Amino acid sequence: MAIIEVSDLTKRYGDQVALNGVSFSVEEGEIFGILGPNGAGKTTTVECVSGLRTPDGGRVRVSGLDPRAGRDELRQFLGVQLQESGLPPKLTVREALRLYASFYRDPADPGILLTQWGLEAKAGTRYGKLSGGQQQRLAIALAMVGNPRIVVLDELTTGLDPAARRAAWDLIEQIRDAGVTVVLVTHFMEEAERLCDRLALIDTGRVVAVDTPAGLTARAGAPQRMRFRPSEPVEEEELLALPEVTDVTRQGRHLELSGTENLVQAVTALLARRQIIAADLRVEQTTLDDAYLALTKSDPVK
Amino acid sequence: MSTMTLPSLRMTGHGFRTLLSTQARLTMRDIPVVAAGIGLPILLLLIFGNIPSFTEPHADLGGRTTLDAFVPTLTMMSAMVLACTGLPTFIGELRERGALRRLSASPVPAAGVLAAQLIVIVAIAAVVGALVVAIATLGFDAAAPKHLATAVAAGVLGSAAVLGLGLLIAGVAGNAGAAAGMGIPVLIANFFSGGLYAPVEKMPHVLQTIVGYVPFGAVVETWSGIGTTWIHLSVLAVCTVLASLLAIRFFRWE
Repeated sequence: MAIIEVSDLTKRYGDQVALNGVSFSVEEGEIFGILGPNGAGKTTTVECVSGLRTPDGGRVRVSGLDPRAGRDELRQFLGVQLQESGLPPKLTVREALRLYASFYRDPADPGILLTQWGLEAKAGTRYGKLSGGQQQRLAIALAMVGNPRIVVLDELTTGLDPAARRAAWDLIEQIRDAGVTVVLVTHFMEEAERLCDRLALIDTGRVVAVDTPAGLTARAGAPQRMRFRPSEPVEEEELLALPEVTDVTRQGRHLELSGTENLVQAVTALLARRQIIAADLRVEQTTLDDAYLALTKSDPVK
Repeated sequence: MSTMTLPSLRMTGHGFRTLLSTQARLTMRDIPVVAAGIGLPILLLLIFGNIPSFTEPHADLGGRTTLDAFVPTLTMMSAMVLACTGLPTFIGELRERGALRRLSASPVPAAGVLAAQLIVIVAIAAVVGALVVAIATLGFDAAAPKHLATAVAAGVLGSAAVLGLGLLIAGVAGNAGAAAGMGIPVLIANFFSGGLYAPVEKMPHVLQTIVGYVPFGAVVETWSGIGTTWIHLSVLAVCTVLASLLAIRFFRWE
Protein backbone atom coordinates (compact mmCIF):
# COMPACT_ATOMS: atom_id res chain seq x y z
CA MET A 1 0.00 0.00 0.00
CA ALA A 2 1.22 3.49 -0.78
CA ILE A 3 2.32 5.38 2.34
CA ILE A 4 2.81 8.65 0.45
CA GLU A 5 0.52 9.75 -2.35
CA VAL A 6 1.17 12.94 -4.28
CA SER A 7 -1.12 13.99 -7.10
CA ASP A 8 -1.07 17.05 -9.35
CA LEU A 9 1.04 19.08 -6.95
CA THR A 10 1.58 22.68 -8.06
CA LYS A 11 3.56 25.47 -6.45
CA ARG A 12 4.78 28.81 -7.70
CA TYR A 13 7.04 31.41 -6.10
CA GLY A 14 6.02 34.69 -7.70
CA ASP A 15 6.46 34.23 -11.45
CA GLN A 16 8.58 31.13 -10.98
CA VAL A 17 6.72 27.85 -11.42
CA ALA A 18 8.39 25.41 -9.03
CA LEU A 19 6.02 22.45 -9.38
CA ASN A 20 3.78 21.90 -12.35
CA GLY A 21 1.59 18.89 -11.64
CA VAL A 22 3.84 16.48 -9.77
CA SER A 23 2.37 13.03 -9.06
CA PHE A 24 3.91 9.88 -7.62
CA SER A 25 3.37 7.43 -4.81
CA VAL A 26 5.77 5.82 -2.38
CA GLU A 27 5.26 2.27 -1.13
CA GLU A 28 5.78 1.40 2.50
CA GLY A 29 9.30 0.10 3.24
CA GLU A 30 11.02 1.19 0.05
CA ILE A 31 13.79 3.69 -0.64
CA PHE A 32 12.19 6.11 -3.04
CA GLY A 33 14.52 8.44 -4.86
CA ILE A 34 13.71 11.90 -6.14
CA LEU A 35 16.22 12.72 -8.81
CA GLY A 36 16.61 15.75 -11.02
CA PRO A 37 18.75 18.73 -11.98
CA ASN A 38 19.21 21.70 -9.64
CA GLY A 39 16.09 23.83 -9.46
CA ALA A 40 13.89 21.02 -10.77
CA GLY A 41 11.59 21.20 -7.75
CA LYS A 42 12.94 18.30 -5.68
CA THR A 43 13.21 20.20 -2.40
CA THR A 44 9.86 21.94 -2.87
CA THR A 45 8.27 18.52 -3.42
CA VAL A 46 9.63 17.03 -0.21
CA GLU A 47 8.83 20.23 1.70
CA CYS A 48 5.20 19.85 0.63
CA VAL A 49 5.27 16.18 1.68
CA SER A 50 6.77 17.12 5.06
CA GLY A 51 4.20 19.86 5.68
CA LEU A 52 6.80 22.61 5.65
CA ARG A 53 5.28 24.29 2.64
CA THR A 54 1.70 24.69 1.49
CA PRO A 55 1.19 23.67 -2.14
CA ASP A 56 -0.88 25.94 -4.39
CA GLY A 57 -2.77 22.98 -5.78
CA GLY A 58 -2.94 19.21 -5.81
CA ARG A 59 -3.22 16.66 -3.10
CA VAL A 60 -0.69 15.12 -0.73
CA ARG A 61 -1.47 12.29 1.66
CA VAL A 62 1.09 10.85 4.02
CA SER A 63 -0.23 7.75 5.72
CA GLY A 64 -3.68 9.13 4.97
CA LEU A 65 -2.95 12.56 6.53
CA ASP A 66 -2.90 15.97 4.91
CA PRO A 67 0.59 17.23 5.84
CA ARG A 68 -0.68 20.76 6.65
CA ALA A 69 -3.90 19.99 8.48
CA GLY A 70 -2.46 16.89 10.14
CA ARG A 71 0.86 18.56 10.85
CA ASP A 72 1.07 17.73 14.54
CA GLU A 73 0.30 14.06 14.01
CA LEU A 74 2.60 13.85 10.95
CA ARG A 75 5.57 15.23 12.91
CA GLN A 76 5.38 12.25 15.23
CA PHE A 77 6.06 9.65 12.53
CA LEU A 78 7.90 11.58 9.81
CA GLY A 79 11.56 12.37 10.38
CA VAL A 80 13.41 14.82 8.17
CA GLN A 81 16.92 15.86 7.33
CA LEU A 82 16.78 19.12 5.44
CA GLN A 83 19.19 21.07 3.33
CA GLU A 84 20.50 24.24 4.92
CA SER A 85 19.33 23.34 8.35
CA GLY A 86 21.54 23.12 11.37
CA LEU A 87 21.72 23.41 15.10
CA PRO A 88 22.97 26.07 17.51
CA PRO A 89 26.79 25.85 17.29
CA LYS A 90 27.22 25.61 21.05
CA LEU A 91 24.86 22.67 21.50
CA THR A 92 26.65 19.35 22.03
CA VAL A 93 25.78 16.19 20.12
CA ARG A 94 24.31 14.48 23.20
CA GLU A 95 22.28 17.57 24.16
CA ALA A 96 20.89 17.83 20.63
CA LEU A 97 19.74 14.20 20.64
CA ARG A 98 18.26 14.49 24.15
CA LEU A 99 16.50 17.73 23.25
CA TYR A 100 14.93 16.36 20.08
CA ALA A 101 14.09 13.06 21.80
CA SER A 102 12.11 15.01 24.40
CA PHE A 103 9.82 16.39 21.66
CA TYR A 104 8.44 13.00 20.64
CA ARG A 105 5.84 10.74 22.20
CA ASP A 106 7.83 7.57 21.65
CA PRO A 107 11.46 8.55 21.08
CA ALA A 108 14.45 6.35 20.37
CA ASP A 109 17.12 6.12 23.07
CA PRO A 110 19.68 8.89 22.42
CA GLY A 111 22.45 6.63 23.76
CA ILE A 112 21.64 3.90 21.25
CA LEU A 113 21.48 6.43 18.41
CA LEU A 114 24.92 7.73 19.39
CA THR A 115 26.37 4.24 19.03
CA GLN A 116 24.40 3.41 15.91
CA TRP A 117 25.58 6.48 14.04
CA GLY A 118 29.16 6.35 15.28
CA LEU A 119 28.90 9.54 17.34
CA GLU A 120 29.82 8.16 20.77
CA ALA A 121 33.29 9.69 20.72
CA LYS A 122 31.75 13.05 19.77
CA ALA A 123 28.88 13.01 22.27
CA GLY A 124 30.30 15.93 24.26
CA THR A 125 31.47 17.90 21.22
CA ARG A 126 29.66 21.08 20.22
CA TYR A 127 27.84 21.06 16.90
CA GLY A 128 29.98 23.90 15.55
CA LYS A 129 33.14 21.82 16.07
CA LEU A 130 31.94 18.75 14.15
CA SER A 131 33.18 17.88 10.66
CA GLY A 132 30.73 17.96 7.75
CA GLY A 133 30.39 14.18 7.84
CA GLN A 134 29.73 14.16 11.58
CA GLN A 135 27.13 16.91 11.22
CA GLN A 136 25.41 14.85 8.52
CA ARG A 137 25.45 11.74 10.72
CA LEU A 138 23.91 13.78 13.52
CA ALA A 139 21.30 15.10 11.09
CA ILE A 140 20.30 11.51 10.20
CA ALA A 141 20.31 10.50 13.86
CA LEU A 142 18.01 13.46 14.62
CA ALA A 143 15.73 12.45 11.74
CA MET A 144 15.53 9.01 13.39
CA VAL A 145 15.13 10.17 17.00
CA GLY A 146 11.33 10.11 16.96
CA ASN A 147 11.25 6.45 15.80
CA PRO A 148 9.69 7.55 12.50
CA ARG A 149 7.91 5.33 9.97
CA ILE A 150 9.07 7.62 7.16
CA VAL A 151 12.28 9.62 6.80
CA VAL A 152 12.90 12.33 4.23
CA LEU A 153 16.57 12.87 3.44
CA ASP A 154 17.27 15.91 1.26
CA GLU A 155 20.68 15.84 -0.48
CA LEU A 156 22.13 14.01 2.43
CA THR A 157 25.52 13.30 0.85
CA THR A 158 26.13 16.61 -0.91
CA GLY A 159 29.37 18.02 0.42
CA LEU A 160 30.61 14.70 1.81
CA ASP A 161 33.88 13.13 0.72
CA PRO A 162 33.62 9.77 -1.11
CA ALA A 163 34.38 7.70 2.00
CA ALA A 164 31.80 9.53 4.10
CA ARG A 165 29.30 9.22 1.25
CA ARG A 166 29.69 5.43 1.13
CA ALA A 167 29.34 5.28 4.90
CA ALA A 168 26.12 7.30 4.62
CA TRP A 169 24.79 4.84 2.02
CA ASP A 170 25.30 1.95 4.41
CA LEU A 171 23.41 3.88 7.05
CA ILE A 172 20.49 4.54 4.71
CA GLU A 173 20.30 0.84 3.89
CA GLN A 174 20.25 0.13 7.62
CA ILE A 175 17.27 2.45 7.99
CA ARG A 176 15.38 0.67 5.23
CA ASP A 177 16.26 -2.71 6.70
CA ALA A 178 14.65 -1.56 9.95
CA GLY A 179 11.39 -1.19 7.98
CA VAL A 180 11.40 2.58 7.62
CA THR A 181 10.27 4.12 4.34
CA VAL A 182 12.97 6.44 2.96
CA VAL A 183 12.43 9.35 0.59
CA LEU A 184 15.84 10.31 -0.73
CA VAL A 185 16.45 13.49 -2.70
CA THR A 186 19.67 13.34 -4.66
CA HIS A 187 21.44 14.43 -7.78
CA PHE A 188 24.08 11.71 -7.63
CA MET A 189 23.33 8.95 -10.16
CA GLU A 190 25.58 6.47 -8.44
CA GLU A 191 23.73 7.02 -5.19
CA ALA A 192 20.32 6.65 -6.83
CA GLU A 193 21.38 3.50 -8.66
CA ARG A 194 22.87 1.90 -5.58
CA LEU A 195 20.17 2.77 -3.03
CA CYS A 196 16.80 3.39 -4.58
CA ASP A 197 14.15 0.77 -5.13
CA ARG A 198 12.28 3.22 -7.32
CA LEU A 199 12.96 6.71 -8.60
CA ALA A 200 10.96 9.72 -9.68
CA LEU A 201 12.86 11.80 -12.18
CA ILE A 202 11.79 15.44 -11.86
CA ASP A 203 12.64 18.14 -14.37
CA THR A 204 11.36 21.75 -14.45
CA GLY A 205 8.56 21.01 -12.00
CA ARG A 206 7.26 17.86 -13.69
CA VAL A 207 7.74 14.15 -13.13
CA VAL A 208 9.43 12.86 -16.27
CA ALA A 209 9.47 9.21 -15.24
CA VAL A 210 8.85 6.95 -12.23
CA ASP A 211 10.58 3.58 -12.45
CA THR A 212 13.23 1.32 -10.97
CA PRO A 213 16.82 2.41 -11.70
CA ALA A 214 17.11 -0.50 -14.19
CA GLY A 215 13.79 0.41 -15.78
CA LEU A 216 14.87 4.03 -16.23
CA THR A 217 18.17 2.92 -17.73
CA ALA A 218 16.35 0.72 -20.24
CA ARG A 219 14.32 3.71 -21.41
CA ALA A 220 17.44 5.46 -22.59
CA GLY A 221 17.68 2.99 -25.48
CA ALA A 222 20.04 0.15 -26.28
CA PRO A 223 21.56 -1.23 -23.08
CA GLN A 224 24.92 -2.15 -24.66
CA ARG A 225 27.21 -0.68 -27.25
CA MET A 226 30.50 -2.07 -28.56
CA ARG A 227 33.19 -0.80 -30.84
CA PHE A 228 36.09 -2.77 -32.35
CA ARG A 229 38.41 -3.17 -35.32
CA PRO A 230 37.95 -6.63 -36.95
CA SER A 231 41.15 -8.35 -38.10
CA GLU A 232 39.26 -9.52 -41.24
CA PRO A 233 36.34 -7.80 -43.01
CA VAL A 234 32.91 -8.73 -41.64
CA GLU A 235 29.64 -8.29 -43.48
CA GLU A 236 27.23 -5.91 -41.77
CA GLU A 237 24.29 -8.11 -42.83
CA GLU A 238 25.79 -11.04 -41.02
CA LEU A 239 26.04 -9.04 -37.81
CA LEU A 240 22.53 -7.63 -38.16
CA ALA A 241 21.24 -11.17 -38.61
CA LEU A 242 22.06 -11.77 -34.93
CA PRO A 243 18.92 -11.11 -32.87
CA GLU A 244 21.01 -9.29 -30.25
CA VAL A 245 22.23 -6.64 -32.71
CA THR A 246 19.99 -3.69 -33.43
CA ASP A 247 22.34 -1.33 -35.21
CA VAL A 248 25.70 -1.40 -36.99
CA THR A 249 27.71 1.57 -38.20
CA ARG A 250 31.08 1.51 -39.89
CA GLN A 251 33.66 4.16 -39.03
CA GLY A 252 36.72 3.63 -41.18
CA ARG A 253 38.14 0.31 -40.08
CA HIS A 254 36.07 0.30 -36.92
CA LEU A 255 32.63 -1.12 -36.37
CA GLU A 256 30.17 0.29 -33.87
CA LEU A 257 27.33 -1.94 -32.74
CA SER A 258 24.46 -1.46 -30.37
CA GLY A 259 21.99 -3.99 -29.09
CA THR A 260 20.52 -5.90 -26.15
CA GLU A 261 22.35 -6.76 -22.94
CA ASN A 262 23.72 -9.98 -24.53
CA LEU A 263 25.24 -8.09 -27.47
CA VAL A 264 28.86 -8.64 -26.54
CA GLN A 265 28.55 -12.41 -26.02
CA ALA A 266 26.66 -12.96 -29.29
CA VAL A 267 29.07 -10.89 -31.38
CA THR A 268 32.25 -12.31 -29.86
CA ALA A 269 30.90 -15.86 -30.40
CA LEU A 270 30.27 -15.11 -34.06
CA LEU A 271 33.74 -13.58 -34.49
CA ALA A 272 35.34 -16.60 -32.78
CA ARG A 273 33.61 -18.99 -35.18
CA ARG A 274 35.06 -16.98 -38.07
CA GLN A 275 38.44 -16.80 -36.35
CA ILE A 276 38.30 -13.02 -36.52
CA ILE A 277 39.97 -11.04 -33.77
CA ALA A 278 38.22 -7.97 -32.36
CA ALA A 279 41.04 -5.46 -31.80
CA ASP A 280 40.64 -2.24 -29.74
CA LEU A 281 37.45 -3.69 -28.24
CA ARG A 282 35.48 -1.25 -26.12
CA VAL A 283 32.18 -2.04 -24.45
CA GLU A 284 29.85 0.59 -23.06
CA GLN A 285 26.96 -0.03 -20.76
CA THR A 286 24.08 2.42 -20.78
CA THR A 287 23.94 3.94 -17.30
CA LEU A 288 21.43 5.85 -15.29
CA ASP A 289 23.46 8.90 -16.29
CA ASP A 290 22.53 8.32 -19.93
CA ALA A 291 18.90 7.85 -18.97
CA TYR A 292 18.97 10.98 -16.85
CA LEU A 293 20.44 13.08 -19.64
CA ALA A 294 18.10 11.61 -22.25
CA LEU A 295 15.02 12.13 -20.10
CA THR A 296 15.78 15.57 -18.69
CA LYS A 297 17.27 16.85 -21.94
CA SER A 298 19.35 19.16 -19.82
CA ASP A 299 21.52 21.50 -21.80
CA PRO A 300 25.10 21.22 -20.57
CA VAL A 301 25.94 24.69 -21.99
CA LYS A 302 23.45 26.38 -19.71
CA MET B 1 5.88 31.72 7.39
CA SER B 2 5.68 35.41 8.02
CA THR B 3 3.55 35.55 11.11
CA MET B 4 4.25 34.24 14.53
CA THR B 5 2.24 31.32 15.82
CA LEU B 6 2.09 30.73 19.51
CA PRO B 7 3.72 27.57 20.79
CA SER B 8 0.76 25.27 20.80
CA LEU B 9 -0.25 22.37 22.95
CA ARG B 10 1.54 19.89 20.72
CA MET B 11 4.61 20.57 22.80
CA THR B 12 4.75 18.16 25.70
CA GLY B 13 5.59 19.45 29.17
CA HIS B 14 8.71 17.30 29.15
CA GLY B 15 9.69 18.69 25.74
CA PHE B 16 9.29 22.28 26.87
CA ARG B 17 11.24 21.74 30.09
CA THR B 18 14.10 20.17 28.14
CA LEU B 19 13.97 23.06 25.69
CA LEU B 20 14.01 25.55 28.55
CA SER B 21 17.05 23.99 30.22
CA THR B 22 18.81 23.74 26.85
CA GLN B 23 18.16 27.42 26.14
CA ALA B 24 19.40 28.35 29.61
CA ARG B 25 22.59 26.36 29.06
CA LEU B 26 23.16 27.84 25.62
CA THR B 27 22.65 31.35 26.98
CA MET B 28 25.18 30.76 29.75
CA ARG B 29 27.67 29.50 27.10
CA ASP B 30 27.40 32.80 25.25
CA ILE B 31 30.31 34.52 26.93
CA PRO B 32 29.77 38.10 25.66
CA VAL B 33 26.11 37.95 26.72
CA VAL B 34 26.99 36.61 30.17
CA ALA B 35 29.75 39.21 30.59
CA ALA B 36 27.62 42.19 29.52
CA GLY B 37 24.26 41.00 30.81
CA ILE B 38 25.27 39.52 34.17
CA GLY B 39 28.86 40.52 34.93
CA LEU B 40 28.83 44.17 33.88
CA PRO B 41 25.98 45.55 36.06
CA ILE B 42 27.37 43.80 39.14
CA LEU B 43 30.94 44.86 38.38
CA LEU B 44 29.87 48.49 37.81
CA LEU B 45 27.91 48.45 41.07
CA LEU B 46 30.93 47.15 42.98
CA ILE B 47 33.14 49.85 41.41
CA PHE B 48 30.65 52.69 41.97
CA GLY B 49 29.96 51.52 45.52
CA ASN B 50 33.66 51.74 46.30
CA ILE B 51 34.15 55.28 44.98
CA PRO B 52 33.92 57.41 48.16
CA SER B 53 32.38 60.50 46.48
CA PHE B 54 29.63 58.32 44.96
CA THR B 55 28.18 57.50 48.35
CA GLU B 56 27.93 61.12 49.56
CA PRO B 57 24.62 63.01 49.27
CA HIS B 58 24.57 65.73 46.60
CA ALA B 59 22.42 68.84 46.60
CA ASP B 60 21.97 68.71 42.81
CA LEU B 61 20.71 65.11 43.13
CA GLY B 62 18.10 66.23 45.62
CA GLY B 63 20.09 64.97 48.57
CA ARG B 64 20.61 61.54 47.01
CA THR B 65 24.01 60.01 46.39
CA THR B 66 25.48 59.41 42.91
CA LEU B 67 25.17 55.68 43.63
CA ASP B 68 21.44 56.14 44.36
CA ALA B 69 21.07 57.72 40.92
CA PHE B 70 22.86 54.81 39.28
CA VAL B 71 20.97 51.99 41.03
CA PRO B 72 17.91 51.98 38.73
CA THR B 73 20.19 52.11 35.68
CA LEU B 74 22.27 49.17 36.86
CA THR B 75 19.16 47.24 37.95
CA MET B 76 17.70 47.42 34.47
CA MET B 77 20.97 46.91 32.65
CA SER B 78 20.72 43.12 32.45
CA ALA B 79 17.23 43.20 30.90
CA MET B 80 18.39 45.85 28.48
CA VAL B 81 21.53 44.02 27.31
CA LEU B 82 19.84 40.61 27.08
CA ALA B 83 16.82 41.96 25.24
CA CYS B 84 18.53 44.28 22.79
CA THR B 85 21.65 42.32 21.93
CA GLY B 86 21.47 38.79 23.39
CA LEU B 87 18.01 37.91 22.07
CA PRO B 88 18.35 39.34 18.54
CA THR B 89 21.81 37.86 17.94
CA PHE B 90 20.71 34.50 19.31
CA ILE B 91 17.61 34.33 17.11
CA GLY B 92 19.60 35.74 14.16
CA GLU B 93 22.20 33.04 14.57
CA LEU B 94 19.57 30.29 14.74
CA ARG B 95 17.90 31.64 11.63
CA GLU B 96 21.20 32.01 9.78
CA ARG B 97 22.22 28.44 10.54
CA GLY B 98 18.86 26.97 9.64
CA ALA B 99 18.25 25.85 13.22
CA LEU B 100 14.78 27.43 13.19
CA ARG B 101 14.06 25.57 9.95
CA ARG B 102 15.21 22.31 11.50
CA LEU B 103 12.97 22.90 14.52
CA SER B 104 9.93 23.66 12.41
CA ALA B 105 10.23 20.11 11.03
CA SER B 106 10.05 18.67 14.56
CA PRO B 107 6.98 18.49 16.81
CA VAL B 108 8.16 21.70 18.50
CA PRO B 109 7.34 24.89 16.66
CA ALA B 110 10.12 27.42 16.29
CA ALA B 111 7.99 29.74 18.43
CA GLY B 112 8.69 27.34 21.27
CA VAL B 113 12.37 28.28 21.19
CA LEU B 114 11.47 31.94 21.21
CA ALA B 115 9.18 31.44 24.21
CA ALA B 116 11.84 29.43 26.05
CA GLN B 117 14.48 32.06 25.29
CA LEU B 118 12.20 34.86 26.55
CA ILE B 119 11.60 32.98 29.79
CA VAL B 120 15.36 32.47 30.25
CA ILE B 121 16.06 36.17 29.66
CA VAL B 122 13.31 37.32 32.01
CA ALA B 123 14.60 34.96 34.71
CA ILE B 124 18.21 36.11 34.36
CA ALA B 125 17.20 39.80 34.25
CA ALA B 126 15.01 39.39 37.34
CA VAL B 127 17.75 37.65 39.32
CA VAL B 128 20.46 40.13 38.29
CA GLY B 129 18.13 43.09 38.93
CA ALA B 130 17.22 41.79 42.39
CA LEU B 131 20.87 41.10 43.12
CA VAL B 132 21.87 44.64 42.15
CA VAL B 133 19.18 46.16 44.40
CA ALA B 134 20.15 43.86 47.26
CA ILE B 135 23.89 44.56 47.01
CA ALA B 136 23.30 48.31 46.60
CA THR B 137 20.93 48.70 49.54
CA LEU B 138 22.45 46.15 51.91
CA GLY B 139 26.10 46.46 50.92
CA PHE B 140 26.45 50.12 50.01
CA ASP B 141 23.54 51.74 51.90
CA ALA B 142 21.85 52.98 48.75
CA ALA B 143 18.38 54.42 49.26
CA ALA B 144 15.46 52.13 48.43
CA PRO B 145 13.07 53.54 45.82
CA LYS B 146 10.60 56.02 47.35
CA HIS B 147 7.57 54.24 45.96
CA LEU B 148 8.43 50.57 45.83
CA ALA B 149 5.28 49.47 43.96
CA THR B 150 5.75 52.13 41.26
CA ALA B 151 9.42 51.25 40.89
CA VAL B 152 8.61 47.56 40.52
CA ALA B 153 5.86 48.37 38.02
CA ALA B 154 8.30 50.50 36.05
CA GLY B 155 10.88 47.72 36.17
CA VAL B 156 8.44 45.09 34.93
CA LEU B 157 6.94 47.32 32.25
CA GLY B 158 10.40 48.53 31.26
CA SER B 159 11.63 44.96 30.83
CA ALA B 160 8.57 44.15 28.75
CA ALA B 161 9.21 47.23 26.59
CA VAL B 162 12.86 46.40 25.90
CA LEU B 163 11.98 42.74 25.25
CA GLY B 164 9.43 43.98 22.72
CA LEU B 165 12.14 46.07 21.06
CA GLY B 166 14.51 43.10 21.13
CA LEU B 167 11.88 40.85 19.55
CA LEU B 168 11.27 43.41 16.84
CA ILE B 169 15.00 43.56 16.07
CA ALA B 170 15.21 39.75 16.20
CA GLY B 171 12.28 39.53 13.83
CA VAL B 172 13.49 41.89 11.14
CA ALA B 173 17.29 41.45 11.25
CA GLY B 174 18.25 38.82 8.69
CA ASN B 175 21.25 37.42 10.53
CA ALA B 176 23.28 37.72 13.71
CA GLY B 177 25.48 40.51 12.33
CA ALA B 178 22.54 42.64 11.27
CA ALA B 179 20.87 41.96 14.61
CA ALA B 180 23.91 43.24 16.49
CA GLY B 181 24.09 46.24 14.15
CA MET B 182 20.50 47.17 14.98
CA GLY B 183 20.60 46.22 18.63
CA ILE B 184 23.66 48.21 19.68
CA PRO B 185 22.37 51.71 18.72
CA VAL B 186 19.10 50.93 20.52
CA LEU B 187 21.14 49.79 23.50
CA ILE B 188 23.29 52.93 23.53
CA ALA B 189 20.29 55.28 23.15
CA ASN B 190 18.64 53.54 26.08
CA PHE B 191 21.79 53.58 28.18
CA PHE B 192 22.19 57.29 27.56
CA SER B 193 18.54 57.91 28.44
CA GLY B 194 18.90 55.77 31.52
CA GLY B 195 21.75 57.89 32.79
CA LEU B 196 24.59 55.42 32.45
CA TYR B 197 26.84 58.08 30.93
CA ALA B 198 25.57 60.95 33.08
CA PRO B 199 22.83 60.67 35.71
CA VAL B 200 19.44 61.82 34.45
CA GLU B 201 19.18 64.27 37.37
CA LYS B 202 22.16 66.18 36.00
CA MET B 203 20.72 66.47 32.49
CA PRO B 204 19.17 69.76 31.29
CA HIS B 205 15.43 69.87 31.84
CA VAL B 206 14.59 69.57 28.11
CA LEU B 207 16.79 66.50 27.78
CA GLN B 208 15.19 64.99 30.87
CA THR B 209 11.81 65.36 29.19
CA ILE B 210 13.08 63.77 25.98
CA VAL B 211 14.76 60.77 27.64
CA GLY B 212 11.53 60.22 29.58
CA TYR B 213 10.05 58.97 26.30
CA VAL B 214 12.78 56.34 25.83
CA PRO B 215 11.98 53.12 27.73
CA PHE B 216 15.12 53.08 29.84
CA GLY B 217 14.82 56.78 30.65
CA ALA B 218 11.18 56.34 31.62
CA VAL B 219 12.08 53.56 34.09
CA VAL B 220 14.91 55.52 35.70
CA GLU B 221 12.85 58.72 35.96
CA THR B 222 9.94 56.83 37.54
CA TRP B 223 12.31 55.25 40.03
CA SER B 224 14.03 58.55 40.84
CA GLY B 225 10.78 60.53 40.93
CA ILE B 226 11.56 62.79 37.96
CA GLY B 227 8.65 63.91 35.76
CA THR B 228 5.17 62.45 35.83
CA THR B 229 4.90 58.79 36.79
CA TRP B 230 1.73 57.97 34.86
CA ILE B 231 3.24 59.39 31.66
CA HIS B 232 6.35 57.25 32.11
CA LEU B 233 4.33 54.11 32.72
CA SER B 234 2.13 54.91 29.72
CA VAL B 235 5.25 55.37 27.56
CA LEU B 236 6.45 51.92 28.63
CA ALA B 237 3.05 50.28 28.08
CA VAL B 238 2.67 51.85 24.62
CA CYS B 239 6.22 50.87 23.70
CA THR B 240 5.60 47.25 24.81
CA VAL B 241 2.36 46.92 22.86
CA LEU B 242 3.65 48.67 19.74
CA ALA B 243 6.96 46.82 19.58
CA SER B 244 5.26 43.46 20.21
CA LEU B 245 2.63 44.06 17.54
CA LEU B 246 5.30 45.09 15.04
CA ALA B 247 7.41 42.09 16.04
CA ILE B 248 4.49 39.72 15.45
CA ARG B 249 3.74 41.41 12.13
CA PHE B 250 7.30 41.34 10.81
CA PHE B 251 8.80 38.28 12.45
CA ARG B 252 10.53 36.02 9.93
CA TRP B 253 11.41 32.44 10.78
CA GLU B 254 13.53 31.87 7.69
